[in-house]
Parts: sequence; C-alpha cells; structure tokens
Amino acid sequence: MAEATKYFINGVGIISPQKTYDPNVFLTDITRYDQNVLTCIAPDFKAYINPIQMRRLSRMLRIGLSAATICLRNSRISIPDGIITATGYGFLEETAKFLQEILVQGERQLTPTYFMQSTSNALAGLVALTIKCMGYNNTYASRGFAFENALTDAMMQLNENASANILIGSYDEAAEVQYKASIRAHHFKTEYVNNLSLFNTNTRGSIQGEGSAFFMLSGKPSESTWGILDDIHQVYRPEQGALSSELEIFLRKNDVTNKSIDLIISGASGDSQHDAVLNALINTFFDDLPQARFKHLSGEYCTATAFAVWLGASILKRQQVPEVVVVDTAKIARRPGTILIVNHYMGKSFTYILLKRI
Amino acid sequence: MSQRVFITGFGIITSIGKNAEENLRSLIEGRCGYGPLEVLDSIHRQSVLACEIKMDEPQLCEAAGVRHSGGFTRTSLLGLIALHEAISSARLSVEDVKSSGLISATTTGGIREFEKYYHELMDPTLSGDFERFTDTATSGEHCERIADHVGIRKYLGTVSTACSSSANAMMHGAQLIKNNKLPRVICGGSEALSKFTVNGFNTLMILDSEHCRPFDSTRNGLNLGEGAAYIVLESEDSVAQSRKNPIAELKGYGNANDAFHQTASSPDGAGAIMAMKLALDSGQVQPSDIDYINAHGTATENNDLSEGLGIKRLFGDSIPYFSSTKPYTGHTLAAAGSVEAAFCLLALRKGMIWPNLNYKNVMPELGIEPVTQLKRGISLKNVLSNSFGFGGNTSSLLLASV
Amino acid sequence: MNQTVDELIPEIREELIKQLNLEGMLPEGFDENTPLFGEGLGLDSIDSLELVVLLDRNYGIKLKDPKEGRHVFQNIRTMAEYVAKNRAHV
Repeated sequence: MAEATKYFINGVGIISPQKTYDPNVFLTDITRYDQNVLTCIAPDFKAYINPIQMRRLSRMLRIGLSAATICLRNSRISIPDGIITATGYGFLEETAKFLQEILVQGERQLTPTYFMQSTSNALAGLVALTIKCMGYNNTYASRGFAFENALTDAMMQLNENASANILIGSYDEAAEVQYKASIRAHHFKTEYVNNLSLFNTNTRGSIQGEGSAFFMLSGKPSESTWGILDDIHQVYRPEQGALSSELEIFLRKNDVTNKSIDLIISGASGDSQHDAVLNALINTFFDDLPQARFKHLSGEYCTATAFAVWLGASILKRQQVPEVVVVDTAKIARRPGTILIVNHYMGKSFTYILLKRI
Repeated sequence: MSQRVFITGFGIITSIGKNAEENLRSLIEGRCGYGPLEVLDSIHRQSVLACEIKMDEPQLCEAAGVRHSGGFTRTSLLGLIALHEAISSARLSVEDVKSSGLISATTTGGIREFEKYYHELMDPTLSGDFERFTDTATSGEHCERIADHVGIRKYLGTVSTACSSSANAMMHGAQLIKNNKLPRVICGGSEALSKFTVNGFNTLMILDSEHCRPFDSTRNGLNLGEGAAYIVLESEDSVAQSRKNPIAELKGYGNANDAFHQTASSPDGAGAIMAMKLALDSGQVQPSDIDYINAHGTATENNDLSEGLGIKRLFGDSIPYFSSTKPYTGHTLAAAGSVEAAFCLLALRKGMIWPNLNYKNVMPELGIEPVTQLKRGISLKNVLSNSFGFGGNTSSLLLASV
Repeated sequence: MNQTVDELIPEIREELIKQLNLEGMLPEGFDENTPLFGEGLGLDSIDSLELVVLLDRNYGIKLKDPKEGRHVFQNIRTMAEYVAKNRAHV
C-alpha cells in the first residue's frame, strides 16, 4: 500500500451557528446573536436520519450524524475506511441530564439512554453503526487539541494507506453546564455583546459557540476535492519565544515563506489578552498579509479549528473570501492558494494548520 | 515508517496495588480488590460491590506529591501516581519528559468531583473551596493537568473510546513514533469510580451483584473498578541513544468497529476478530505465534460470548492460553487497556500467566477454557491484550518480549 | 387502586409511546397484541431497559433480571398482565 504524500479534503459537512449545512451556500446569510451563546442552525434532520433511529437521539447526536451524512454525500463515499471524531466538551448535555437524575432522584429510576449517549465516542459509534463501517474508529476528547489529534491521526492512517478514505468529525455543544463553568472560569464575557462586533470589544473572554464539522480525508484527490491539508502542528503552553520558533520550524518544514502564503485565518476569540498574543505573532510574521477571522460567526469552543478548516477549504474551493470574515478589505488581493490557520484556545493551546489549493 | 516501538517503563495503580510491585504480588497471590464501596459515597455502597482503591483524596494527594487544594480530580491523582512511576521506571530525565508526548485516556474525567459539587458549581452566587473544580469535568482536563505537573508540552492528546480508550491511546502513541513525529510518548489512561458510572452501568443491568466470573457459563455481569496505568513508548533511535534495555516491544495493534449495536458486541465476534487479526498482521506474526491472550473478559453475557467465539474462530484448534484479569481489578473502563497491558508486561517479565479467577463452568457455546491457576516458568514471546467498548470499539495490542 | 388488565392497556400504551418517543411512529394496526420487539414494532435492547425504568417509575415494579423482561415485554397485553399481578400496592 502506497504512503500518502498529500492529504486531500474530498468532502465536507458542517452544522454551525451560521447557515452552513448546505455545501452549496457559503456564508451569504449571516445570523446575529445578542446574548453571547451561539447555537447551531440545524437542517431538517429527517433528510439525514430515519425516524426510528432519530427518536432516541440527543440534539447533538442528531447534529453530528447529520453533519457526517452531509459529508458522506458530498464526498460520494458510502462507507469510509475509518471514522475519527473529536470533542472538547463531550456530550455534556446528556451527562448533566443523567447527573441531575442521580442527584434529584437519589440514584433511583434513572434513564439508561442518557448514560449511553454521554460517552464521548457515542457519535463515532453511531456513525459506524448507521453506515456499517467496521474500519478504524477513534475518538479524541482533548479540549483545545481534540480536532488536531484527529487530523494528525487521520494523516497517519493515510501514511499507511494512501487510498483510504477517513471520515473526521468534530462536535461540541453549548451545554448550559459547560457555559456556567466557563463563566466561572472567566473564559467568556459577562457583558452581552453582539457576535458580529465581537472584535470591537476590548474585554477579557470570548463568546460561547458550538458546532459539528466533518471532513473526508484521503491520500488521493477526487472529483469533489475541496483542498489539500498540508500539515498541522500543536503548541501547548508555549514558553517565551516558543510560538515564534515553532512557527518558523513549521513553515520551514513545509517549505513555505510568508511570501508564499496568501491568507491567514486567525483564531482570535475576542478575548483582549489572549488575542494580543496571537495578533503579535501574526503581525510579526505576516504583517502585510490579508487576514480572516471566524469566531464571531462560530463562537468559541474546543474544536473551533474545525470551523476554520471548513472556512479555509471553502475559500480554496470557491476562490472567494467572504467579506464577513475579512479583517482589512484593502488587503485581499491575491487568489487564495495557500492558507495558514493560526488558532488559540483559551490562550493555552495553539495550532498551526496549512491548507493548499489543489 | 520503519521505526520499531519499544517499551521502556510503566507505572500502575489499581485496587490491588499502588505500584507495579504491589500489583505483581497481588496477581501472584490471587488477591482481588473486590468489596463494598468505602470511599465513594453512593446508595449502592453495599449492593454494587466494586474494586475500589481504598485511598481518599488526601492520601492520593500525598502519594501523587501534590497539594490538597490544587484542584486535582481523583482521575488526575490516580493518573499522576501511575505517571510518576512510569517516568522513573523508564529512567526519564527532566529533558526526556519535556520532549515526550502524553496520550491519556479517560471516559468520565472529572465527573466524580462534578457530581459532588454540582449544585455549588451551578449556582453563580456561591463561592468557596469547591471552585478548584470549576472546569475539571471534561475528559481532556486530566491530561493537561498531569502534563503540566510533570512538564510535558510537546504533544498532548486525550482518547475517549469507552472501555477501549487506553489501548487506543497506546496505538496513537505508537503511530506518532512510527511516523517520526516524536521520539517518546507516554500512553495510558486513568479512571476514577463515580456515582455516574456506578449508576450508569447499573441502569444497563450489566453489573453482577457478586464477584464477576469471566468466561464462566454462570457469569452475570461485570464489576466496576478504578485505576490508572501509563506505558512509556520509545523509538528505536531514542532507545539506542540512551543505551537503554527496553522491557518489551509494542509489536502490533489493531483497531476496528463491530458496527453492531450501541452498547453490545456482535454475537459472532466480528469486531473482536478484526482487531486481533489487524494486531497480528501489523506485527507480522501468525496466530500460532501467540502465547497468551489477556482477554477483555468483562464477564457480561454478551462480551465473553462474542470475544470467546472471536478467539475460537481466529485461533481454530490451537487456542493460546487466555485469561481475564477483571476479577482482580474490576473493569477499570478507560484505564483497562493500559492496566492490562501492564499486566502483560509483568507476565512477560516473570514468565507467568495470571489466572482467570472465579472460573468453574465451561460455556457450552464455546467449549474452551481459560487459565484458572497461576502458571509459572512459561516462556512468553508474543501476547495479545484485548480491549473492547461501547460504540462498537474493538482494539487489540500485540506485546512482545525483546 | 386495582386496575384491571383492560384498564391498564391504554395507560401502558400511552406511557410506552411517551417513554420511547414513539409519537407518530406506530405502524398501522398496532394494538396490545403486536409484538414490541423483532418483526412487530422493532424495539431494541435499549428500549427494553427503558421499559424496565417505566415499570419501576410508574408501578413500583423492579425487574432484577434483564432476562425476565423478555417475557414481560412481549406486547402491551403481557406488560399489563404483569403489572396487574405484580404492582406494588401503596
């Protein structure tokens, strides 16, 4: 079996707080939120899930299974060779439901379905079961690196067999318990802001988002290729200077310079302090490059980089950068061929992802 | 892609011992951790017996070398104790640790503290000591917490595939090494008992109210357990540079999905066979080369039949020695894969096979019997360790002596 | 409060639809004699766990052995008969 040398994104399916579930529509109709919690705009689930199966599924399992199905249809693959999912929060909504029953009912007469749907691998198992995929199956639950682990894993699977198709997906939900914990931990803003002016705020904290995004990754291109995933790198709690030095190594390793990059997708979250670090890095390396941001559309959550990958892949496929993501419209000049995603999660987990046009 | 993956050390804490030495002694002496719950507060204390580590938070903090107020969950503390032992057993320097990756597995992470302080945490008007557990409920938290404590930064990952989690963590680590992404990865899992899991498994009606009996025709469910184990994986180059003698090789691994049912295994063991076969193929060994299988063997009606049939179909007339060590430790869920990998490493080191305790009656559908008495003086070369889980996840690790 | 089997049947039917989210999904001709599992309604083992909880919550009946459920949960009538016979009298 041949080793993969490139990793092709051959399909996408994404459900997010924007109307993204139709792969043929690209951020034309933007939804505004005023209360700091951005929740998914879901399609009619009946188009993707049969009713008997649906009756017991939690909201997030419906969203996840639908996003996976959209991706499978978009990539014209009925059964992939492997399924890898990623989540930071896990199924906290179901976890909390079961927990509340335990506490309120004194550990009696509990609903088994809540428990079963609380495990982080419930979605990967559900997708496998639905399409009868017996291949490789894994789930990462690593907070700010879960989706990064999943991508790395998928790339390594393709290094063993380039012709494999690996379905990778993320999911994180804006569960009430998580939101309350995040507020307590000062991760989110306490004053209400309108998401579309997130980057005009100058306060600590971000806003809560959620979403599920699936990608079909293969070592071979197809008719439906969106773009190429070149490489990914994670930096955890960087010491002084490490963000720059690791970025330099990453760029050198992938043979790109700041001249050959056409667009930066920044994972700025609206948190004044964390964004300052990210912006300093971006300005040092790519001062004159056009820049896009996305967390005002998706909100912040552990696997938000999946939204960024979708955004990047869409820009590469359509050769169009929607105005709503552009930082400085004067700078969008070149045809996007190489995109670098620079993300941070809570100022602690940093990610570099390099995407290229096919 | 040619790098071999060596094991240079490991650490373990379970209800039968808080380090490798104690676990070994218990395995040899047939001592189990099974009994009433004493540390966990639950109405099921006396009715749902389990394999609990009889140490409370201050005792665990002391063993882990952390301050009480630090906000370490029980999962993190168990993990840290095993991680410390793994690091010293592989004789890793501070620099070694810094350049290592950490792949840790858990299913419930900090749920135990979350359930304990739920009302306080959910009420924004309250403040107090409970706030150290403000953001510790998610699975990934424990991995960051213990990585921060020992100084690992290079690569972090949390795997959560139910009861096969830490086997998959080891696989991810092995692949990072094979792909030359890291010279050294510490892999394993940690799981603390909680009301959440005790009640969860109770609602599924797969807990035995008696001591579990894997592969016995009268088996009637599993016993829960808790614990943590970490295995240090190193590349060929890293081992050569440090002039270490590895204790074993992670020679192969397989991961598949049964795709049969949300919580049950297929009756014919299709997923189990695929995982074991992939492990054999990737390690380039034949079924006849396998000397011992540490089975998943949870003692549920469903798992043992499915796994047993899978073993029978794959190994035909020459079934290797096999046993489940779940009666010793209970089912430690996400930690089970690395706990049992550690038991396999002890088996390889000592030339012993751990007995499948509580076994009496052959399953008529199977007609094969596990090892029921401690075996000594066995020359072990290749052993398999199986871990299966909800969601159809099936994984198998091939560990070999060096 | 001693309901007869015939009184229990519509009540259990309603509870079952609620607990298992079966609203609008019952096949044509579904009645108290239609098998709940297999060829009939097509419920699965997770539903049967939910039915165990239903018996406990609504009638105070605790099934200890999941195998017992196979007989009790054949159809709505067998459930009603079982409830009539075993319900906890408060």
